[in-house]
Amino acid sequence: MPRLCPDIATIEHPAVALLARETRWRAGPVPRILDDVALADGEYILRDDRFLFRTEGGIGFYYRRGEGITLEQPAAADPRDVRLWLQGTTYAAVAAINGLFPLHASAVTHDGRVYAFAGPSGAGKSTLAAALGREGFPLFCDDTLILDLAGNGAVTGLPGHKRLKLWPDAFALARAERHEQVASDYDKYFARPAGSVITDPLPLAGLIFLDQGPDPALATMTPGERVARLQDDHYTTKLFALAGGPRSIAVRFDELARIVARIPMRRFLRPIAADRFDEGLRFIADYIRDTRAQ
Amino acid sequence: MTVPLKDDARFVETTIEDEIVVMNIDTGDFFSLRDTARDIWRLIDGEHDRLAIVTALAQEYDAPESALAADLDAFLAELDAAGVLKSR
Repeated sequence: MPRLCPDIATIEHPAVALLARETRWRAGPVPRILDDVALADGEYILRDDRFLFRTEGGIGFYYRRGEGITLEQPAAADPRDVRLWLQGTTYAAVAAINGLFPLHASAVTHDGRVYAFAGPSGAGKSTLAAALGREGFPLFCDDTLILDLAGNGAVTGLPGHKRLKLWPDAFALARAERHEQVASDYDKYFARPAGSVITDPLPLAGLIFLDQGPDPALATMTPGERVARLQDDHYTTKLFALAGGPRSIAVRFDELARIVARIPMRRFLRPIAADRFDEGLRFIADYIRDTRAQ
Repeated sequence: MTVPLKDDARFVETTIEDEIVVMNIDTGDFFSLRDTARDIWRLIDGEHDRLAIVTALAQEYDAPESALAADLDAFLAELDAAGVLKSR
């Protein structure tokens, strides 16, 4: 059965090994009904330890804990689309079902610790993480950061399972090498970052929410604001809302609270004009270096 | 005199720094409590009735009891609407 992430599977870490095992996939028919609920194209359901998803193009994914992923591809399916959904929504659902915490974020490392950038699509997470490579910060992950909260209160980031993807106008800012288009109807391109890439699990040291502002600045956040932003940026918030049930919500709240209590969080305000990108880049690079030095 | 009560089965809470964050586990909605709101939340313990809560707040805050009572009633109404209090 093919592995989703063969490179990551060689790393000896329980959560990494778990994901490598649980994200193995095989071709086969995928049901259209889960617990008497019919699934239309473009919808997904998460119930207990099962996940069912069908794209608008008819690509089907079914996961059950302990059994891996079943993938149903229509004959006309673009392999790039299959990979996009397999590594995105499906992977996040598998992580969440297995007790991990997927976050919509890109991240870099500095001195053995992970610094993640969160925000809605288009906020510039990937561009910033890629550009920090030329400031000496290796890339840790793009778009999805999986957190392991299992070990003695520590919050560990698992190395990225996806290639870096950038919008066309981001390549000049990031000075990354442009490769092939990500998917047929998705105008991002795979990219090779300017710096190195880290493939070891590492502790999360900071979470930075990207916002716009007239000049580069960092803003502190109250605990309530941190919970709210983390909740908004939780990759599987919608999935677990679908799953429902007080136990799921209570469990996720506990995880949110642990992250908020342990991980420093800031809002990074910066101008969006391209000619001021480097100014913001240097600002946040200095912040990360100064934080680690303390 | 009414003793306001939390509906423990309907929420979870956590204290982070000087705030209490409360989540309704049926809806997923949450809110954070600071200062007076936090203190009122802590005083809703099944032992303090409305008057006792106002008296306790008056010892902590430099405000007339009438104003504190009005704030308390408004806050209790919000908590009730948020679904975290037992019906009176």
